[in-house]
Amino acid sequence: MFTLLFIAMCFSMVVAFLLIRRLQEKPWTQHGILEGSQDGLTSSAPRVGLWAFLGVVTSVFAVFLGAYFMRMDSTHGGAALPSLMQMSSWAPVEEPWVLWLNTAMLILASIAIQLAHGFSSSGRGRSSMRRYFNAAGLLTMAFLIGQVYAWRELYLTGDYGVSSPAFSFFVLLTAVHGLHLVGGLVVWSRAASRIRRGLDQAELSEVAALRQSVQLCATYWHYLLLIWLVVFAVLLST
Amino acid sequence: MAYVAIADRDHEQHLHDPQTFITKYVWSQDHKVIAIQYGGTAIAMGVIALALSLLMRLQIGFPDTFDITPYQYYQFVTMHGMIMVIYLLTALFLGGFGNYLIPLMCGARDMVFPYMNMLSYWVFLLSCIILGISFFVPGGPTGAGWTLYPPQAIAPGTPGTDWGIILMLASLAVFIVAFTMGGLNYVTTVLQARCRGMTLMRMPLSVWGIFVATILGLLAFPALLVAAIMMLLDRTIETSFFMPALLMAGEATETEGGSPILFQHLFWFFGHPEVYIVALPAFGLVSDLLSTHARKNIFGYRMMVWAIVAIGALSFVVWAHHMYVSGMNPYFGFFFATTTLIIAVPTAIKVYNWVLTLWRGDLHFTLPMLWATGFIFTFVHGGLTGLFLGNVTVDLPLSDTYFVIGHFHMVMGVSPIMVLFGAIYHWFPKMSGRMPNKTLGTIHFWMTFLGTYAIYLPMHYIGILGMPRRYYAYGDTSFIPESATSVNEAITIAAIFVAVAQVVFFINIIYSLRKGEDSGPNPWRATTLEWQTPQTPPKHGNWGNTLPEVHRWAYDYSVPGDEQDFIPQNHPIKPGEASVEH
Repeated sequence: MFTLLFIAMCFSMVVAFLLIRRLQEKPWTQHGILEGSQDGLTSSAPRVGLWAFLGVVTSVFAVFLGAYFMRMDSTHGGAALPSLMQMSSWAPVEEPWVLWLNTAMLILASIAIQLAHGFSSSGRGRSSMRRYFNAAGLLTMAFLIGQVYAWRELYLTGDYGVSSPAFSFFVLLTAVHGLHLVGGLVVWSRAASRIRRGLDQAELSEVAALRQSVQLCATYWHYLLLIWLVVFAVLLST
Repeated sequence: MAYVAIADRDHEQHLHDPQTFITKYVWSQDHKVIAIQYGGTAIAMGVIALALSLLMRLQIGFPDTFDITPYQYYQFVTMHGMIMVIYLLTALFLGGFGNYLIPLMCGARDMVFPYMNMLSYWVFLLSCIILGISFFVPGGPTGAGWTLYPPQAIAPGTPGTDWGIILMLASLAVFIVAFTMGGLNYVTTVLQARCRGMTLMRMPLSVWGIFVATILGLLAFPALLVAAIMMLLDRTIETSFFMPALLMAGEATETEGGSPILFQHLFWFFGHPEVYIVALPAFGLVSDLLSTHARKNIFGYRMMVWAIVAIGALSFVVWAHHMYVSGMNPYFGFFFATTTLIIAVPTAIKVYNWVLTLWRGDLHFTLPMLWATGFIFTFVHGGLTGLFLGNVTVDLPLSDTYFVIGHFHMVMGVSPIMVLFGAIYHWFPKMSGRMPNKTLGTIHFWMTFLGTYAIYLPMHYIGILGMPRRYYAYGDTSFIPESATSVNEAITIAAIFVAVAQVVFFINIIYSLRKGEDSGPNPWRATTLEWQTPQTPPKHGNWGNTLPEVHRWAYDYSVPGDEQDFIPQNHPIKPGEASVEH
């Protein structure tokens, strides 16, 4: 309950904070066009769209983790719950070692995609850019395979059934995170095939578009790495 | 200021001109076509929900007369609620009016991501189809109540636990995907595609309302998504997220230790912002209607924007006032009662500002104006009963009675619908190039306005009397007097009356589309950009070759000394006007 309340406060503050500076204007006293005002569709629109989407992703994981904590402590503010409900069946999951390897993979993927982005914006070393960009995708796939392996490890121990909430949450959280990465990989594969089709002959505007998609991919990967680190930390600490 | 006109901006936004009938009207990426697709689908869903409410009312008003089983009754209640809140109101305000108005009012050619916008509609349609299918599966649709509380929502004994609940949860998840695709578009378009001179504080309040509501939706719908996924897993593979250890038919279930209260928290963490996802666009639209048809600038524009933002922020910290009866800690009850009553402050500011906008205005009782003033009545009415229910001690005895039904239908059923009809009549000329028929529209208004009062006002009284809601039939209960039964009959008759009134609306729309008077580009003499398009209805790309430029705010009505009583936003500064240009 407190978790959910905390999330709510954060949302409210984000909404208010983003807007508060611009809300001081008195539109009825000023006519004409302000210097430096926006002029039609801006080139940063895809970036803003991506960040708005990352806001949604944050909300999904914040609510999942909120539910995780509340489920762990089943009483959460309810004073008069019947005793049946208070009987907690929470048996923590013993995290498989492979998660550490997976985490390393994802960190490497993030580094690789950042290097690809660096090469794309410097304009030189297009083949290095392609190499690093491809490496990022492959490392991410390795991460996903590792996650499935972790489920299998846990399942084979035989200690966890579907009625074990800690195990259910473990699978759910990792699956939802993995699905986001799969979505990222779809975008990645489209960008990678465009890079493969030859950057050298491409038009200048096309190069700019590719550069932007590499940059957006990098942002998305870093953010999903951050989310994974938070999720992993929560899983380890409970 | 020297300014070189940017003649043609096509190089910045690919215009993907539609060629065939299919790309123009079916798989269209044009925000105006998508808006009408969204609107049409949402209204069709609304008609289904209206029919369900009539079936429900027939049972309550005249029990044992019609062949309605308790199972069916609960299914009608559930589907009516869910369809009205999500598939009609949310979809029509954001998918319909959001799509239509944001690019036009901001001076953009289209949404920023047109392809994703198209996808948003088709995924929404898919969610409606999934929901529709649930009427035809074995066991029928779910009858768990629109809040879908576990354990009863998925435990045997509740109607529709075979397939109904699964399809309902799947449909909600699909809807949320559709909404997210649309919502990202609305937010990004408002932030990134406004024309030159359109600062945030020059946007009409309609755009403000839709914008903040979309942000709320993007942050709140994930809670419903998470709850739906978890409940789907509880139902299909018997996880124990929400299911406690239960004895069913004398046998213990596999589940143990799940928390039904957790679902309630998640549901209402979405559910309360949802109220404002519907209300904020309504607030915005009605502000523009009132200002335009009273020929006066909106009173306190800045305060109106701040109130929208404040309500949006506060709406995330009041959700548990829907759960006072869940046995929560009294301190939490105190906290949520306080935040709930605080939200009344910005809301009251808005109501005062609407009334002050009308004060000494040059009122034109056009069709949109009738509905907009009607909204002020129904909203104040519903809002005041909200103050009762916001208090824990008053809510506890009233919570399970018809008082609550009366309250939330007044505030979030009738009021937004009033705005929706006003907005449809207001923007119909822009969408079709023809005027709606005033006589038919007036009949529609008075039948609906008086009829809905006849439905919901008495509900407050039978609620205070203690008449419980959600009951299939009351039988011979000692505390329910004969008079309450007669009131229920009267309410049912009023409900039929209101439903008939909606037929008048459809006749009007069909008639006016064919035979309506030619409206011209700006029949209401309004200032906002959508009325200044080169063609009516606007063509693909909205603005011809040149994007508009905005030189003033959206509310220059009856400016002293001006020969006309309105100055459109794109009109350049006149000599003597205060200016920021040098």
